[in-house]
Formats: sequence, structure tokens, C-alpha cells
Amino acid sequence: MEAVIQLESLQVKLGPRIILDRLTGALSGRCIGLLGPNGSGKSTLINTLLGFYRPLSGKAKIFGKDVQENLRDLRAQIGYMPESDAFIADMSGVRFVRYMAELSGLPKSEAMERAHEAFFYVGLGEARYRKLGTYSLGMKQLAKLAQALAHGPRLLLLDEPTNGLDPEARQRMLQLVRDIRDTSEVCVLISSHLLHDIEECCDEVIILKEGKIAALCNLEEERKANLKFLELEVSSENGFLESVRSLGCECASFGAGRLKIVLPDNIEVRQLYKLAVEHSIQIRRMNYRRDSLEDIFLKAMMNGAVPANASEKAMSHGRL
Amino acid sequence: MAVYKRSYKAYSGPLTPTWSRFTVLTRYGLARLFDSRMFTAYTVFCFLPFLVGLGSIYFVHSTAAQMLLGLKFGRELAINNQFFLGVLWSESWLGFVLVAWAAPGMISKDFANHSIQLYLSRPLSRAEYLVGKVSVLAALLSCTTWIPALILFGVQAEMQGNGWGWDNLWIAGAIVVAGLLWIALMSLLSMGLAVWVKWRIAATALFFGVLFFMAGFGFAVNQVLRTRWGWLLNVPQMIFIVWRSLFRMPLSLAELHHDAVPLWSAWASLLAICAFSLWLLNRRLRAREVERA
Repeated sequence: MEAVIQLESLQVKLGPRIILDRLTGALSGRCIGLLGPNGSGKSTLINTLLGFYRPLSGKAKIFGKDVQENLRDLRAQIGYMPESDAFIADMSGVRFVRYMAELSGLPKSEAMERAHEAFFYVGLGEARYRKLGTYSLGMKQLAKLAQALAHGPRLLLLDEPTNGLDPEARQRMLQLVRDIRDTSEVCVLISSHLLHDIEECCDEVIILKEGKIAALCNLEEERKANLKFLELEVSSENGFLESVRSLGCECASFGAGRLKIVLPDNIEVRQLYKLAVEHSIQIRRMNYRRDSLEDIFLKAMMNGAVPANASEKAMSHGRL
Repeated sequence: MAVYKRSYKAYSGPLTPTWSRFTVLTRYGLARLFDSRMFTAYTVFCFLPFLVGLGSIYFVHSTAAQMLLGLKFGRELAINNQFFLGVLWSESWLGFVLVAWAAPGMISKDFANHSIQLYLSRPLSRAEYLVGKVSVLAALLSCTTWIPALILFGVQAEMQGNGWGWDNLWIAGAIVVAGLLWIALMSLLSMGLAVWVKWRIAATALFFGVLFFMAGFGFAVNQVLRTRWGWLLNVPQMIFIVWRSLFRMPLSLAELHHDAVPLWSAWASLLAICAFSLWLLNRRLRAREVERA
């Protein structure tokens, strides 16, 4: 699968400070989450991908093309939704989106048509003739999304798309992102510090810490890998543990009937119930436990940045 | 993407040529300006010197009209370099208000709500953005200054006949060069100042301030230091000196000694202002500022 974004020892320096420090990795998910605490370099990475900042060394590639060498070509394929307000207050919504689409190269009539469609798509159809300055915060966010979509990009860069939205508007925004991900060929990169947003939409995550890659993982694979990780609480461990091990499961007891079991692919949960019946013990609690994105994030924050070779390994394995 | 389907679809249709993208800025810029009736009315008013000039040329050449009105134009109203300099100068002052009206709003609105990052995240360079915005002013000012003056020159050449046009072709050259110099200076200066001020009214005030307070400051420098180099800060004066030389009406020796600076220094002053404005634009016209430096 072609990498959507490829970073090759990317280093970006702003003033005297190195903001991105030798980032190396390849991201090939349909929806990529860019996570990190404030000041970790998320927005700088997006700005570098847009060509706003020139790398000190290394390269950033989008769809296999070097950003600096193919800036104009790549910008035509990118839709960007910035974090901060970005609009012309005394222009109507649809006119603004049409204007932006024309700047991306769409002829007048197509730009007009797609501006209307984009507004309906994001749910602002009724408000499209109102001036942008009169929009609420949630509407402005949706208008920013509309302008990012109108010219039909291959990659959407969304910088904190749910910032300042109420729960309902936030859900609506995330639903739109999921819809774009599922119903089109567009790849999406979402920068956020809200883990829940990323977890809901993304299949791949890059976590930055102090300008370095702290984790790079494929969420789908993480979920699959953790699917058969069980936590059990039984009335007694009498012979049960040995029987479970004889099935080929990895098993550990934490006392007082608390067990952790990793089920191999060929073992069903039903077989555990059978064993429990055979040993006349009660299973009082059973739950699948999997690493949530929060676990991954906290682990990454505690462990610090991964060394350069580790992130290369992550590239080839898709997870850390 | 279709409205009835409400699902996203990529665009695969034709694209406009890359070189023409800056014209989108020009088109939208002009459309936004002419949304205002006041602005449209004022733009029409800017053609007043042209109409007066046209009438003057007609009356000078039409004995019937002179007899009808009981007037006789002789040497008092000669259609020569001085006439065209006067027409261009009046048109330019009216155009100056046009610049002060149009330029700050064009740029500061893009900076007020950070929409500049949306322009520059598209296949559009900073230079193209600037060219697109300057083209709005260039188109407007050209239509109200040197193009009407050039039309007057053509009318005069036609009515005078006898090879007047060929003999005085340098006047046409002077009109074009003077007009373009003035447009470049006003456009760059107004935009260079506007990018630093997000509030349109403040940007307009700054533009007036730089032009007129600097002139006042230059006058004060002349008085206090008993020098004439303070005139270098008087932009309209510098433009006038350069224009007089272009229209072959050089300063007299007395003027040179008392009120004015040499031609080369006027040119240098104007070019320095253009260069400074470009520097201001280069510093500020960015999608992102490096704030953590």
C-alpha cells in the first residue's frame, strides 16, 4: 500500500528551536490521527506538509512526492482545515467556498456547483447565503470543512476539527469525517489532542512528544491483537488453570480467583465455559480487555520518544 | 458530491491553467469593491478630469463651439506637455483616494480572520497572491489615470493633425511611465502598510499618515536643520519632481536651490519606498508566523 505521508528524518527549526526532530515514519491509513500534547509539534508537522515551513533537513513526502519539490502539485490535492478561524467575514458562505475552489483551479461554474454541494454535504445548506461573520463557531468549523472539501482533494488535513464545538456539533463533525473516510477515496489526517475523537475516526495514529515520534501504530491491528485478551474472575482455581493451559492458552493468576488469559486463534470462549462446568467452578466475571488509545498514549508519554531505528521498525510492522 | 445523495465525491473535471489563478483574486477583488455603490459612484467621479480634458481639447479645436460660447481659447489653453501633466496630476489625486479606499480592505480582511492561510494552502504562491491583489489596484488606477490621459493624447493627435502625434510621441511615453510608476508606488505602499494592520480603518489612517505626516515631518526637518533633504520624505513632492522631468518640465535653478531636491534623489526616494514596501510585504505575507523565535 502506498504511503500517504512519509517522513524521512524530517527536522524543522523555527527560530532557534528545533520543533520537529528527525521524524521518520510512513503513514498509510485512510484516516490518520496526529496526537500529542500542546507544543509537541502537531501543527508544525501539518504546516510542513503544506509547505509553509521549509525543513532544516530530511524530507516530508505526500503520495510519494517530496513536498518541497512538488508543492504546487501537492497543494492542489490537499484540502486544509486550519485550527484557527479562517474566513472572510463579509462574504457569504457559498461565495467564499466558491472563491477557494476557484483558487484551487476549478472553473467558475464547477466551483459554484461544488460550493453549493459542499455546503449541503456539511449540513449548512440553508445558511449558505449568510455572511460568514454571522456564523456560530460550529458553523464556522463546518464552513472551513466545506472549503477544504469543495475542490475534491485526495488528502484532507484537519487541524483540531472539533475545537470549541458542543457535544452535538462534535458528533456531527466526527460523523462527517467517518463518512468521508468510508465513502470516498480521500485520506484524512486529523490533528487533535482529544483521544476520543481520534479513536472514533482513525485507523492509524502517530503520537508526537517534544517534536519526536513517541508512537506510531495501526489502531486496527492493535484492536485485533487485543481482542482475545481476557480477564476472568472465578470462584476457585482448582485445576482450572492447568486445564486452560492444556488448551494452549497463556494464563496468569493474580490470586483470589483473578486470571488473565490470552486465547489463541483456534480457541473459543465457549471452551472455557465447558472447562468451568467440568471443574464445577463459577465464572463470576469475564471481560475482554484491550489497550485503549488512552493506554497507548499514556505509554508513549511515559516511555518518551522512540529511537530512530524503532520508528523504522514501526514503519515495516505497522505498530510498535 | 451530489446534493441529493449527500455523499462526497472527488472532483475529476478540468482545471484552469496554473498561470491564471491570480486572476481569480483580481476578479473577486474588483467584484467586492464594486458591490459598494459609493465606491462605484466615486470611480465614475474619477473620470471628471478626463471629461474636462476632453472638453478642453474639443473647444480648443472647435471655432464653432468657441463662437457659440463667446470664448476664445488661444495661448491660455495650449494642449501641450503641461496640459497632460495637469490632467494626469488631477486624475492621480482622485485615484489616490481610490487607493486609500480600496487597498487596505483588500488585504486587511484576509489577515483579520487568518484567511491568508487558506489562500496559501492552495496552488498559489505569495508572489501570485500579491500580483492578484496589486492587479485590482493596477486595473482600477490604469482605467482612471494613464489610459484616459492616453486617450486624450490620441484625441488631440487626431484633431490637431499635421504629425502632431508623431512629433509629441514622447508625451505618450511620459504618460505611461508616470502612470505606471505612480500605480506601483501607491499599490505597494498601501499594501505594505495594510498587511501590518488588521483593522481596515486603521490601515487607511496609516496610509494617509505615512504620506502626509511624513511630508510634515520632512518640512520640520528642513526648517530645523536648514536643509532641503527633508523633502525626500514628501512622497507627493518626489512624484511631482519625477513627473516634471518625464514631461520635460525640469525644475528651475531657483527651485533647485530653495524648494526641491535633485532628480536623482527623487528617483532614489521613490524606489526606496517601493523596496521598503516589498520588504514589509515579504515579512508579513506568510501563512504562518514564526512566533516562537
